[in-house]
Amino acid sequence: MSANALDTLWLEERSLTNLIKQPAIRGILDTLLAFAVFMGLWWVFMDPRGVLRWYTPQYGYMYIRWLLIVAIWQAYIFNFWPFKLTWMEKTHPLKKGLILIAINFVVTGLLVWVFYYNIFGRLAIPYFSWPELKKTGLSDFFSREYSSLAILMMAAIASWLSPIWPAAFENYPWHNLKQPAKGFTVFAVTFLLTTYAYLIFMHPHYRVLFYPWQEYTAAFPWWYDSFHTLSGNFNVGWIMCATVSVWLLETIMERYPFRLVKSQPWRGLTGFAFILLLAWILFFTFTFMQDMVWGPSVEGAKRLMAPDWRYLHNGELAVILLTVALALYFYFDNWPRKFSTEVNLLIRVAITIIGAWGIHWLYYKYSPQLLGTQSGYSHPQQFPMAPVILFINVMLYHNWFMDGWPGKRIKQDLKVA
Amino acid sequence: MEKDFSRRSFIKGMAVGTMAGYFGAAGLSSTVFKSQLLPKEKLNPVDIGQVKSLKIKVISETSWYDNNVFLNDVKKAGGLLVNQYEIPWTREGVKAGYLGDNLGGFSTYIEAELMDGKVIKILQDTGWNPHWMDKRFKEEGIAEKLARKEIDFQVITHEHIDHFFGIESTTRHYPDIPMYVPKGFYQDGFDLLKGKSFPKANVKNDHPHKGKVTVLDSKQVNVLYPGIALMTFDVPIILRVFGEQAFVFNVKDKGIVLVTGCCHQGIISYMEEVRKKILGGQKIYAVQGGLHISPFEDWDPQYDDLIMAFNKYGVQKIGCNHCTGFITAEKMIKAGLPVVKGTARHMSKRDIYLGNGDELVIA
Repeated sequence: MSANALDTLWLEERSLTNLIKQPAIRGILDTLLAFAVFMGLWWVFMDPRGVLRWYTPQYGYMYIRWLLIVAIWQAYIFNFWPFKLTWMEKTHPLKKGLILIAINFVVTGLLVWVFYYNIFGRLAIPYFSWPELKKTGLSDFFSREYSSLAILMMAAIASWLSPIWPAAFENYPWHNLKQPAKGFTVFAVTFLLTTYAYLIFMHPHYRVLFYPWQEYTAAFPWWYDSFHTLSGNFNVGWIMCATVSVWLLETIMERYPFRLVKSQPWRGLTGFAFILLLAWILFFTFTFMQDMVWGPSVEGAKRLMAPDWRYLHNGELAVILLTVALALYFYFDNWPRKFSTEVNLLIRVAITIIGAWGIHWLYYKYSPQLLGTQSGYSHPQQFPMAPVILFINVMLYHNWFMDGWPGKRIKQDLKVA
Repeated sequence: MEKDFSRRSFIKGMAVGTMAGYFGAAGLSSTVFKSQLLPKEKLNPVDIGQVKSLKIKVISETSWYDNNVFLNDVKKAGGLLVNQYEIPWTREGVKAGYLGDNLGGFSTYIEAELMDGKVIKILQDTGWNPHWMDKRFKEEGIAEKLARKEIDFQVITHEHIDHFFGIESTTRHYPDIPMYVPKGFYQDGFDLLKGKSFPKANVKNDHPHKGKVTVLDSKQVNVLYPGIALMTFDVPIILRVFGEQAFVFNVKDKGIVLVTGCCHQGIISYMEEVRKKILGGQKIYAVQGGLHISPFEDWDPQYDDLIMAFNKYGVQKIGCNHCTGFITAEKMIKAGLPVVKGTARHMSKRDIYLGNGDELVIA
């Protein structure tokens, strides 16, 4: 973050010391540790051969997405309130991590089961509630799947809009407020924006999802003429590219170049515009790459050739890109740092692209054996975003909640903000 | 703030970055560049020959009788990605089921008259519940034809429960029937063919298959007889199944007739492939079988995309059933598509499309 930032996060002020000195070994061990924890969580909660088998697929996928948003709220919006920053610094990372992860899980559960199923879904829009949908006569299975899809679509938008305020606007104009007032204000604003964005980008999908079409309650999917699908996957695709853009800018791109803008709200607005620009570049690039590999999509086709699946896959490709960027940022100290900002950034982008290609190859080759998924690129009932985002969640837990322990640990002499 | 920052350098940086980004990435995907850069597909359509006529009889299209019971089995087991051989399927106490059993099955009998007058008899798929399939095979004379080895071969379109688990209904009569399966069959499927039981899924085969099994892959159009071909698609399918094959018949004076099991590859993708790979594929006269659109009366906006696109292909008869779903049939009819009506007999629930015992004749 630049020196004249309006508001800084505890994560930016936190100073870590390396417990494993050799950076490459530390990075590899940290990555392997995160992967092992991810595999454990996947097996217990998601794997179709595992214990709870929530990846049905939408039901488990919904939880994974909201765990991510809640982690962003905890770290970026509430700056770890209600915990004091001295507690954050002095508590053992394992203890701190377990408490913060437990809160992450509980808040996610409350959101889904109390807010969506029993308040928003019951009193406003029934398709957000599994029990309410079931009451209409839908099967239990699809009641849960449809409501999960709606809830996770809301999360997709939240993952784009929630971090923008602290990352691009530095919480302007509420930067002088104290926690929790600042957190609740930013939370309320971003949640409100998320809801509006949902109504514009996703709600029309639900007009068409139900039979007969719900023409009195939702607009016709306005993107149909230009993008040849009624599915909201078009919006999921570019919004995921936007989400990834936020985090690419925040991590490997170090908020460059919009951090060069002197004052708010211009810096935030420039950042927002840059995020959108980068998102659309990613979106169209991925569309083009898929067209090159598989040929142009065909209207009305299914799977590989379906326009809506191609758009969704754009988002999936973007998230794979992000995984590498986050691993580079968290585990390899955002290497390199010794050149000019522009050169550092270009090298990191190159590493990210090459790494993403590798992960893409590994995922489609080994996920059936490792994750219990079906082989092949386009399966209507599985989403690479689910395991990839869960792995990202684990990296966030490890680095935001546990200071990267045991590879790193917080410096005890740090001045508390 | 960086010390060397100036408005000029920022604008310069933004301009360079944006231009480089655009031309390096998004620019390539603009319509102009795309049309120039996309590789041209080399088309070398296969002449599969012609048949004189075709009779397609629905033996059973009712794969299960109560959607909720089926879906609860899936949900309890862990969803749509769980291995079908690991799911305890409900076999009793279902009011809408056949003798309380929720399972039925899918099977179609096809007679194709070659240009020299010889009739090729094909059994497509073998259903799920052996009791139900035995009954239907007996009612439609399939059991007799199998016992007399009158049926030339059996095609298993894909490994799904409702198309394949009733294998002993075929092999009890004709254990060495020649069989075609698509590439992607799991070892479990081959084991079931050879007589292995899967108690968890309530499936067994007391009459092991002893004939030749030919695995067909997707690399080429597989011409079986003049005018009769199979195309295989490498598609991942729910309940841990991979690969599906479907028929292409070329009927003289009519055009191409596509006969499917479930068509998980998607009917539009299937027609597009036929257009590219089969000589005469531009004229698709009829489609028959499951189209796998709303098998559980579920929906997705993508399915509306399909219905809206279907009209562009000029198909004159759509003899759909099974996993096409009633909602889809209703929407297709509303969209002006020529869905062939059925008679709603033998436990088929509605006459909106071809049901059990109904026949589609192309001559």
